Amino acid sequence: MTPGSQPARPLEAPEPAPAARAPVKPAKPIRDWPGVDLLDRYPFVRKVLKWRPLQFWLIWPNVLFFAAFLYAGLFGSPVGSRNVMIVFVWIFWWFLLIALLVPFLSRAWCTVCPLPVFGEWLQRLRFVGVRSGEGPKKQRTRMFGLNLEWPRALQNIWLQNLGFLCLASFSALLVTRPIVSTFVLGGMIVLAVALSLVFRQRAFCMYLCPVSGFLGLYSMTSTLAVRVKDPTLCRSHKEKECLLGCESGYGCPWFQYVGGMTRNNYCGMCFECVKTCPYDNVTVFLRPFCSDRLLKGYDEAFKAFIMLVLALVYSVTLLGPWGTVKDWANISEVGNWKGFGLYVLAVFGLCLGVFPALHLAMTWLGRRLANEPKARLGDSFVRYAYVWVPLGLFAWIAFSVPLMAVNGAYILSTLSDPLGHGWDLFRTGSVQWHPLLPEWIGLVQLPLLLAGLYVSLSSSWRIGRELYADSHKALLSLAPTWAFAATMTVALMCFFVG
Amino acid sequence: MALEVVADVARPRARTRWRTAAILAAAVGLGAGAGILLFNTSGPPKDRDITIYAKQYSFEPPIIRANRGDRLHLKLVSLDVVHGFYLEGYDVDAEILPQQKNALVRHPSQGDQRVEQEEITVVATQTGKFRYRCSHTCGALHPFMSGELIVAPNHSLHGGIGASLGLLVGFALVVRRREPTAAA
Ligand code: SF4
Ligand SMILES: [Cu+2]
Repeated sequence: MTPGSQPARPLEAPEPAPAARAPVKPAKPIRDWPGVDLLDRYPFVRKVLKWRPLQFWLIWPNVLFFAAFLYAGLFGSPVGSRNVMIVFVWIFWWFLLIALLVPFLSRAWCTVCPLPVFGEWLQRLRFVGVRSGEGPKKQRTRMFGLNLEWPRALQNIWLQNLGFLCLASFSALLVTRPIVSTFVLGGMIVLAVALSLVFRQRAFCMYLCPVSGFLGLYSMTSTLAVRVKDPTLCRSHKEKECLLGCESGYGCPWFQYVGGMTRNNYCGMCFECVKTCPYDNVTVFLRPFCSDRLLKGYDEAFKAFIMLVLALVYSVTLLGPWGTVKDWANISEVGNWKGFGLYVLAVFGLCLGVFPALHLAMTWLGRRLANEPKARLGDSFVRYAYVWVPLGLFAWIAFSVPLMAVNGAYILSTLSDPLGHGWDLFRTGSVQWHPLLPEWIGLVQLPLLLAGLYVSLSSSWRIGRELYADSHKALLSLAPTWAFAATMTVALMCFFVG
Repeated sequence: MALEVVADVARPRARTRWRTAAILAAAVGLGAGAGILLFNTSGPPKDRDITIYAKQYSFEPPIIRANRGDRLHLKLVSLDVVHGFYLEGYDVDAEILPQQKNALVRHPSQGDQRVEQEEITVVATQTGKFRYRCSHTCGALHPFMSGELIVAPNHSLHGGIGASLGLLVGFALVVRRREPTAAA
């Protein structure tokens, strides 16, 4: 047992991988991807990452911006396209996040996220420094607050899934009404602070933050990863500063043990472990796209379903031409509760019922075709859900392209007139709305979707080969799921260009 | 087949990779080409009168399907507030005022000069999907107020579908061919 006896799930301990239970295949090595050790190659970067004030200096400008956005939401124009809150958060930030940060920099957003930081400062009673001493749960840093353990039954991302679906149901309000955004985002800060006083470390980020769920899921694809260079060194090193903290830094706020970490999902990239490890064993790898392929539970599989289905749903409600659906979703203005109820029911039903059932049917069929009675259906259900990870990510990027191209002009105009009060700070206040090269959007979306399908196929193929020793059986077991993935790709194409 | 597999083992990996890429590219290209060619049909061009009603936050009809060469005579009517009508790909933008027969039309490539017009004539020379978007802030969901002009034959869609299917089949073929060696 590692010191600090962490919760089973978030601690990426060598729990039996599903592959081990399914027909024969040796356990995977800790890294099955070729990576470039960035900190080894650029020692300067290690210095920067070890510099304690780094995160503080990255976060506080973000906190200021965020405060300004919250203010704009309250006192700026109620018209979304004239308010910096809507334009910068839901167009600019969203695009940056999904198209650049997540695929290339993993959870770098969490490095600079202003939502949980007040809670974290409060727990530490420091902005930058470390209060070393006896802490809760064998930590070697003192922590303010009750420091309770998060309930075991909730140590998964189900709450994030549900919270995200609830927000998604109100998305037509959230992304168009500045005041709604202020209350939701402000509410998240309040919640994060409250939780930080009751529960240990970043319980909010791990288990509640609705953004966290998809950041974690899609960061599996990312080309950047924090890992140790030599896991055997970790095994023999008993002090485990990365887990428990020391004078130079805190134990992982995300309950992760970097020595055994094989996935990006729950690494918030705070780089505390880079600071604490006395051997400089922790580093940042540059690696091929989609290197993490192991989904570990139904909660994660459902996250993948939810994200893909929502990309489709929003393609209908927000980007589609149908007024009735928009009226249903636009509850505060139209007040059609029956329609809204139907809409919410459809969102929940599709994400939690219809789509998972189809996925189950496909994996079941695949298992039948492969004719391998020893293969457990649950394993293939969860593991093959990875098909929807790259496809979902690319679907979201494709979805966001028109959002950015069509509404990008608002970024310029709100830059000069953030509150919609008629200011002209940078002489861009009067930039007229005009879509940027709208005829080309489809020609960008199509290759993106094709790329998503390709990555889905190729990464799930590797998963299939892990589950089935016989390649022919692997192919058969995957065939229905692949057909399903291609169908979804085509469905997205129909919405985007058809 | 068996002979090929033996030969495969000896081949350097990079070559296999290139071959895989070539097969996949060919499959995607073939699929896309087949999709485009098979559905390269559209009816004879016609003159069509279409009245488009704009209301918060959609257009009626939401989707206009046309054939290549159709002459579309569009009348724009607003049922509530001031709306816009920006037709992508056809260089048309209009302002639609409630209770007015005429729309204020401009061609974005030619600047901001607007002309009062009862009817806008568009010749559907470009094929594919073109959205018409509200270009005059009309309320909360204004940025999402749009309709679709779909001009047949829709090459992007058919090409895209063909390419997806090509990719699917091509990939299955590639892994089926390659695997016996990789498993070794
Ligand atoms: S998990 Fe959520 S709150 Fe936590 S750092 Fe990431 S985005 Fe911010
Ligand atoms: Cu409008």
